[in-house]
Amino acid sequence: MKKWLLLVLTALLVTVLAACTANNDAGEKPAGDSDKGDEKTEEKVLYLNNGNEPTTFDPSVGFDAVSWNALNNLMEGLTRLGEDHLPKEATAETIDVSEDGLTYTFNIREDAKWSNGDSVTANDFLYGWTRMLDPNTASPAAFLGYFIEGAEAFNTGEGTIEDVGMKVVDEKTFEVKLTAPTDAFLNIITNPSFFPVNEKVATENPEWFTEAESFVGNGPFQLAKWEHDVKMVFEKNAEYWDAETVKLDKVEWAMVNDSNTEYQMYQANELDVSDVPAELSEQLMDSDEVSVQDQAGTYFYRFNTTMEPFTNAKIRKAFALAVNQEQIVEFVTKNGEKPAHGFVSYGFQGPDGKDFRDAVGNLVEFNAEEAKKLLEEGMAEEGYETLPTVTLTYATSDTHQNIAVALQAQFKEALGIDVELANVESSVFSSEQKELKYQLSRSSFLHDYADPVNAIESFITGSSMNRTGWSNAEFDKLIADAKAETDPAVRWKHLMDAEKLLMEEAPIFPIHFYNQVALQKPGLSGIVRHPVGYLELKWADKSAE
Amino acid sequence: MLAYTIKRFFMMIVTILIISTLTFILMHSIPGSPFNEERTTNETIQANLEKFYKLDEPLPVQYLYYLKSIVTFDFGPSIKKPNETVNELLARGFPISFELGMTTILVAVISGILLGTFAALRHNGFIDYFAMTFAVVGISVPNFVLATLLIQKLAVDYNIFPPATWSSPMHMVLPVLALATGPMAIIARLTRSSMLEVLTQDYIRMAKAKGLSPFRIVARHALRNALMPVVTIMGTMLAGILTGTFVIEKIFAIPGMGKYFVESINNRDYPVIMGTTVFYSTFLVFMLFVVDIVYGLLDPRIKLHKKAGDA
Repeated sequence: MKKWLLLVLTALLVTVLAACTANNDAGEKPAGDSDKGDEKTEEKVLYLNNGNEPTTFDPSVGFDAVSWNALNNLMEGLTRLGEDHLPKEATAETIDVSEDGLTYTFNIREDAKWSNGDSVTANDFLYGWTRMLDPNTASPAAFLGYFIEGAEAFNTGEGTIEDVGMKVVDEKTFEVKLTAPTDAFLNIITNPSFFPVNEKVATENPEWFTEAESFVGNGPFQLAKWEHDVKMVFEKNAEYWDAETVKLDKVEWAMVNDSNTEYQMYQANELDVSDVPAELSEQLMDSDEVSVQDQAGTYFYRFNTTMEPFTNAKIRKAFALAVNQEQIVEFVTKNGEKPAHGFVSYGFQGPDGKDFRDAVGNLVEFNAEEAKKLLEEGMAEEGYETLPTVTLTYATSDTHQNIAVALQAQFKEALGIDVELANVESSVFSSEQKELKYQLSRSSFLHDYADPVNAIESFITGSSMNRTGWSNAEFDKLIADAKAETDPAVRWKHLMDAEKLLMEEAPIFPIHFYNQVALQKPGLSGIVRHPVGYLELKWADKSAE
Repeated sequence: MLAYTIKRFFMMIVTILIISTLTFILMHSIPGSPFNEERTTNETIQANLEKFYKLDEPLPVQYLYYLKSIVTFDFGPSIKKPNETVNELLARGFPISFELGMTTILVAVISGILLGTFAALRHNGFIDYFAMTFAVVGISVPNFVLATLLIQKLAVDYNIFPPATWSSPMHMVLPVLALATGPMAIIARLTRSSMLEVLTQDYIRMAKAKGLSPFRIVARHALRNALMPVVTIMGTMLAGILTGTFVIEKIFAIPGMGKYFVESINNRDYPVIMGTTVFYSTFLVFMLFVVDIVYGLLDPRIKLHKKAGDA
């Protein structure tokens, strides 16, 4: 008995010790590629972290950053966002728009090829888009296609595919009809949900997107290796029509979802790019290796307008004016964000070339006196002697908590009100927020496409993004008019009026606009992060250090 | 012995059943649903999805489906990753968690026993003080703190080991060290104290009088009895190490089961919650069962129906 045990233990010990010493240089794999250096000194490999395993590379289904940041570099739609964040012709060589702005004709490049050598055809787009809109696919991105004639009816099961305004004119010509002129259309179709799908490949193997061996793309890179939950390797796609622009030979993606570990790997040269861990943002923000880019989206708070005391607009406005956004950004988040004094973030140019945000100006700004006055008026209107208790709820996280605590102090200072704080696990939070169970709660909005209407229309009556109980006929009408309007200048005016009304009625108050902060090793260039859109590596380059 | 084993086996089945039922109840009593996202999909689509995953059925019916999936050990596809089944996730993640957990236990047990034994033999000597100081530190520092420290020192500052991920034996060193230190310290302390007690026993003096070599006395006579308390805590320790891997797996980006376990709860991915919980608890309960049986084999006093004398 004892001998047997001893023998097993010894054997195992030997194995472990052997395992520990077997491979001494395994630990020394810096981002530079010293081991491969002998054969080909020029090979450029970019080491990135995707945080997690992509949910799926099925263009019709993914629709989250963890899938799309990678997929955006493996495939390409008719248009692609350029370095200036504007949509440019991509798989489509030329785009003809009819005079009424309703019909788009895409002429696909002769040399647009799939990574297996097949030619990219109009039919591949029809197939991919149809699949996305098909109610059976249950694509979370399908609403983006509702600009296309008949698409909404088809997606909700009320119409048929025959009535959807998509047509294959010939092998390389694809035609799309819209319900109304949509300035953002060419931007919307840069979204990976509008990528083509190689019908031949997809019919042979419906799960073509799950493994590297079966994956067929048409983007700057191709999927060479996909070890699930471990890593992905992208290689330059020689079949890509613009292959000569692509400078990297390979991109290796780790899947590390601990921000401290990610940063430590960056320090150990195992990653070229890293997020900034929240605790270190203050000391790292000034580093030369930090890159800060805008991201279209807003961090804000919702009032529940069906719950006292926020049924009263003046009391809501009083709370909104008691908030000092500059202070929060400067002393609490310390992550280089821009303070928000309206709901629509920077970066949307109107027909007059002016930025939407700048044109509308600051709609809510810290003003303690005004806040105090409005609070008194509001309380008198409602007949309150003392204000009903206010509880501010946020999803459990350090960042949210820090901001919540700052708000608590600001309400106390400006209004003399003690607000109670409550934190809730994030899934519970989002479900209870939708059920209007909180008085005052944290929220965020990130753009799906680059147009202010995407943000503002969240607050029309009955929208699933509303979650405030707020309903205003004038606001609803402004949004409806803007959507039907053919004159861009008038449309822009409607949107601006809508935002002003929203901020005046204050069912929400903004804190800051989002940004994208990353650490990047010196020698990297050309990694593009769009305010709306996904990571772009087509122009990325890495010079030898 | 056989009767004891059979009895323990049935208790094991009952335990698993209770755990699974509790999991089911808890899982459905927390608010939120797998389809609860920032962007709301339209209602027809949502209804289709719920139907597909049988979430539209009344809870008792869902519970029956659930029991069926436990018995057949087929939990169906994940809700968040529709292209993968829960069994695939388990098959991918478990071997890695198992490798990590078992290596840790081996390292902890072997080094803990060695450390404890030497400390006892050199009672109040340098080795003793060193080992016990080490043990106190090892017990007090949580493994996730140790993990971050190890990465910072050994990977970032000195570049001896890779900081994270899981692809070569070198990648195993830091996570195993982080996980093994605590249990190793506990084992060392236990071994030391029971060893000290055993060493004063008459039969050890007898063995010395017989002129046996010190190694033989320690290895063959003393250690055997001194290890009983160690075996006793192995069961709980196993549970500790296997659940401790969740945090360590996250820190070191190890693609084991811990990730699925934690994420599935955040995502309310019911099939994955069920699959991972049932799988893990079955495994744990089974390991406890094995430890109990081994305990019975080692300690004659626990042998119920076996001939005496085969020690």
